[in-house]
Amino acid sequence: MSLVAEAFVSQIAGKVPFIHVGNQVVSELGPIVQFVKAKGHSLSDGLDEVQKAEMKAYMELVNNMLLTAELYLQWCDEATVGEITHARYGSPYPWPLNHILAYQKQWEIKRKMKAIGWGKKTLDQVLEDVDQCCQALSQRLGTQPYFFNKQPTELDALVFGHLYTILTTQLTNDELSEKVKNYSNLLAFCRRIEQHYFEDRGKGRLS
Amino acid sequence: MAAPLELSCWGGGWGLPSVHSESLVVMAYAKFSGAPLKVNVIDNTWRGSRGDVPILTTEDNVVSQPAKILNFLRKQKYNADYELSAKQGADTLAYIALLEEKLLPAVLHTFWVESDNYFTVTKPWFASQIPFPLSLILPGRMSRGALNRILLTRGQPPLYHLREVEAQIYRDAKECLNLLSNRLGTSQFFFGNTPSTLDAYVFGFLAPLYKVRFPKIQLQEHLKQLSNLCRFCDDILSSYFRISLGDG
Repeated sequence: MSLVAEAFVSQIAGKVPFIHVGNQVVSELGPIVQFVKAKGHSLSDGLDEVQKAEMKAYMELVNNMLLTAELYLQWCDEATVGEITHARYGSPYPWPLNHILAYQKQWEIKRKMKAIGWGKKTLDQVLEDVDQCCQALSQRLGTQPYFFNKQPTELDALVFGHLYTILTTQLTNDELSEKVKNYSNLLAFCRRIEQHYFEDRGKGRLS
Repeated sequence: MAAPLELSCWGGGWGLPSVHSESLVVMAYAKFSGAPLKVNVIDNTWRGSRGDVPILTTEDNVVSQPAKILNFLRKQKYNADYELSAKQGADTLAYIALLEEKLLPAVLHTFWVESDNYFTVTKPWFASQIPFPLSLILPGRMSRGALNRILLTRGQPPLYHLREVEAQIYRDAKECLNLLSNRLGTSQFFFGNTPSTLDAYVFGFLAPLYKVRFPKIQLQEHLKQLSNLCRFCDDILSSYFRISLGDG
């Protein structure tokens, strides 16, 4: 069981570039979960129906708030876009394709933000939403080692993936990672998973 | 003396105080928290054209979007959640996210995208509430907005066509309804004996789906099989809204 969990979590956190981790946390989670289920294991097998409902609800919360906030910061915050995202996204391509694709992606993301009502949000409001989400996660985690006590589930992997990304990626401002750092149990949660599953890969990046 | 709180929202029908989910969420929350709202139903004299409803107006503020309106009411000390524990507050946020991601796309589709429903029920109803020529423009705009939202949030690889997206969003919605039913069980409300924010949201999303008479009703049929959710809606209607059934 722990091998599966390790493979699961490491698949997610193994990707380093911010943009791709952000997208791939979600897109790779699905196929991996299906794969694990097909092998006869599911990380959430030990949960009862109400707990499974709660787990799904919290996963949506993470997608709804954290993932959207990450996308907002990458693509709608002008400072970050100008200094980091634009260049990184376009880097595999020659001029002028690099600019065109980056602008197109930005336009797509902005459209999506508008459709879900985030179009008019300021950076401060987004940070407040992230704070609210972290607060909810922190309260749900409490003093337990994982969200559903002793065993990690899909939710733990998803939360770890996002928080790890936020904490270890360099952006123009540190406000996003500062928000997460305010919650000591979330920080401890990330460190614990990093140490438990990645200690053989060298020094941890969360110190 | 608090400044008068006025809410502009879409009106009611089919036994509901409003047929618009977001308006209903705010109205329910106001009832639960005791906020004295003066409800202004949109009618032929309405001049706003943005469709950004519900809107709360006070002497110096204009607040839109249910989440912001509820936050505003809480700051004014109309708080339906004061008895909740920290964990229950966290659960509320999570379940609301679940509703918005898994249930809302299918509700939007049922009302605004499914052609039979839209052309025979939704469009005529909304058009009848507002003055000409807005009645020609706004329903179409709301319909396009709904489709947009569905495709932008759910139409991602590997699902490219509306038909595949449709199948997926209805599957998700049915699963979400099942989860809600499991979570509610035999309780009267989601957290104990008094209704809170989560109850307002669930009621707001479910009641129109439950009560409005549509030609294409697959999601409605599914909901009607979950008797505790139907009982939940009926209880709130009879306790807080005292509307006589058989309207509209």
